[in-house]
Amino acid sequence: MNRLAALLGWGGIAALGAAAFGVLALSRGETVNAAWLLTAAVCTYAVGYRFYSRFLAARVFGLDDRRATPAERYNNGRDFVPTNKWVLYGHHFAAIAGAGPLVGPVLAAQFGFLPGTLWLVIGVVLGGAVQDFTILCCSLRRNGKSLGQMAKEEVNPAAGAMAMLAVLFIMIILLAVLALIVVNALKASPWGLFTIACTIPIALLMGWWMKVWRPGRVGEASVAGGALLLLALVGGGYVASHPALATIFTHRGIALTGMMVAYGFVASVLPVWMLLCPRDYLSTFLKITTILALAVAILIILPPLKMPALTPFATLGEGPVFAGKLFPFAFITIACGAVSGFHALVASGTTPKMIARESDARFIGYGGMLMESFVGVMAMIAACTLDPGIYFAMNTTPAALAQASQVLGQAGFVVTPDVMGELASRMGETTLIARSGGAPSLAVGMAQIFASATSVLGGTTLTALWYHFAIMFEALFILTTIDTGTRVGRFMLQEIVGHVWPRFGETSWYPSVIAASAVVVAGWGYFLYQGVVDPLGGINSLWPLFGISNQLLAAVALCVGTTILIKMGRQRFAWVTVAPLAWLVTVTMTAGWQKVFSADPRLGFLAHAASLAGSSNPDAGRLIFNDRLNTFVALLFMSVVTVLIGTSLREWWLVLSGRKRAETHEAPYVERAYAAGD
Amino acid sequence: MQRETEGGRGWSKTVKGGQGWLRVLRRILGAPDYQAYLEHCRAGHVPALSEREYVAQFFEAKGKGVRCC
Repeated sequence: MNRLAALLGWGGIAALGAAAFGVLALSRGETVNAAWLLTAAVCTYAVGYRFYSRFLAARVFGLDDRRATPAERYNNGRDFVPTNKWVLYGHHFAAIAGAGPLVGPVLAAQFGFLPGTLWLVIGVVLGGAVQDFTILCCSLRRNGKSLGQMAKEEVNPAAGAMAMLAVLFIMIILLAVLALIVVNALKASPWGLFTIACTIPIALLMGWWMKVWRPGRVGEASVAGGALLLLALVGGGYVASHPALATIFTHRGIALTGMMVAYGFVASVLPVWMLLCPRDYLSTFLKITTILALAVAILIILPPLKMPALTPFATLGEGPVFAGKLFPFAFITIACGAVSGFHALVASGTTPKMIARESDARFIGYGGMLMESFVGVMAMIAACTLDPGIYFAMNTTPAALAQASQVLGQAGFVVTPDVMGELASRMGETTLIARSGGAPSLAVGMAQIFASATSVLGGTTLTALWYHFAIMFEALFILTTIDTGTRVGRFMLQEIVGHVWPRFGETSWYPSVIAASAVVVAGWGYFLYQGVVDPLGGINSLWPLFGISNQLLAAVALCVGTTILIKMGRQRFAWVTVAPLAWLVTVTMTAGWQKVFSADPRLGFLAHAASLAGSSNPDAGRLIFNDRLNTFVALLFMSVVTVLIGTSLREWWLVLSGRKRAETHEAPYVERAYAAGD
Repeated sequence: MQRETEGGRGWSKTVKGGQGWLRVLRRILGAPDYQAYLEHCRAGHVPALSEREYVAQFFEAKGKGVRCC
């Protein structure tokens, strides 16, 4: 009877999901309600979690609750602590979710809502969540070792070194593109800049509170910080309306670039408790509450999607937000939310050291990533509730808009300057045209959703406040990623140079701290500057580069996972990681190739450089140099991954053909001390 | 008299429950929890650090964690 009920129940969920996908795919011309998108996503997650993740946990990895986890064996009350799975879920989710799943779907909305949503939902179930779960399981069985260490031990030392180098380069591109999003959201926005600037003294105050004044009292400090943050948000509105104050906080992109670089450097050099930890607490609070609030608001108002399922840019490939056709660029633009290589660093970092029992890895690794995908779907909904004309006017520079004007006009994606002016004044901004980077359009979408969900409270008058709240929310955790990222990049650089010059590897030796921080900051600062002065907006070239690098890191993680599966004697299940690996390699290599060698100057770096040769543009020399630099970076990523895949394939062949003993570096089996069900 | 005791018990229960929730929040946020650390040290009969030292070491270790994009 129970079996029958389960069969009917799950059959019903699967049928509902399929029907929702049907409605989405077959909608032509009429507006679709966001409810269908949510239903399709949630049903797919439920079926994927119930069946596929169970198969992965039980059959592929054979997770065993009688086996002691590193948290139990090395429990030190600090980083190795057995933690309740719901608590750890929240902790893990806060570490993996950032600006990526919010911005990627917004940019990919230029193809319409369908391609991005399909990739988010299917990609996560078969790819992203599998990657996170696999790496978490592998690290869990290896005392919480990092991805680089596992690549070194399980594949070979060269692969380990290569993986580490890849992580460092990817980090630099990632930080540049995230910083660019903040710069684009804050330029000429005194309200936004004032609020974000206030987060620095607030974080310093919190740091002093919880380290010096009342050690360890993070809760009190966070409550005080949160209250001050809201005050800064409201204060921003006053600053923006006050002409003299507004000019102090109105800056152009280049000035903001300088501020970002200085901030990144200072945050990397200062002790963590001063700036980094308090900011991290604030952003975690804000992240979890805002995402929950957004989900509730979307459920309350169930907005209609104004963007069509597919736009002409999906097949034409001349999109003004970024160039390139649906294949491969939809899959590059949405990295986080579907598959994110960066998660492999978290899944082999703090999380495996806190898992209380092996089977929890399913809920935390696989389930945590499903939640991130859901955040991506919500961002897609927020972007697609905007009128397409407004969406394109906000996300493109005038130059790119002019190039695409004919297609936009034919599709009816047009908007008058009056409408844009009215929208900007409702959001408390001077202009919203050409605010590329995804963050401002997401903020407008979120502000409209929040404002109509709270309209009974007179919420529509609060739209400007909601808009700046959304901007603050995004900027705050981008800055958190920037300061932790710069710091982690600094540690990596110190470790790499430390192999040659041991003194440099001492993470507390000041000359080394300053030099390594300066190098990392200069690295991402250069790409940021290049993006800010780029006439096409920068996001156009930097975001694909970031997507390619993030997906290639996922390929590295999946290579390591496959190697471990084969060495565990589970080669008949190796397809669970090989299938997403093959897809990612196909997509990223195609995208990388097109970015470098495409004859279309809007798409290919080299063609763009060639189109500038001999032009009268005074910046031509610099732009040509940047195109060549981008070419070099793309080719570097592609060759690093090619080498890594080559060495992995060789290792697989050696093991499978019996030429090499399958030796894994799994920690020996130790029985759990706690009773079952404890 | 009896009522007072009951009231007292109920109150201390609420306080305890509240502390349980605070502990959960601390873990999710990744905040230091000195009481939990002391209990851990007592259970394992290992010497504990002072609160200041514990907090300092905790933040230092936290600074090495990655935040995702």
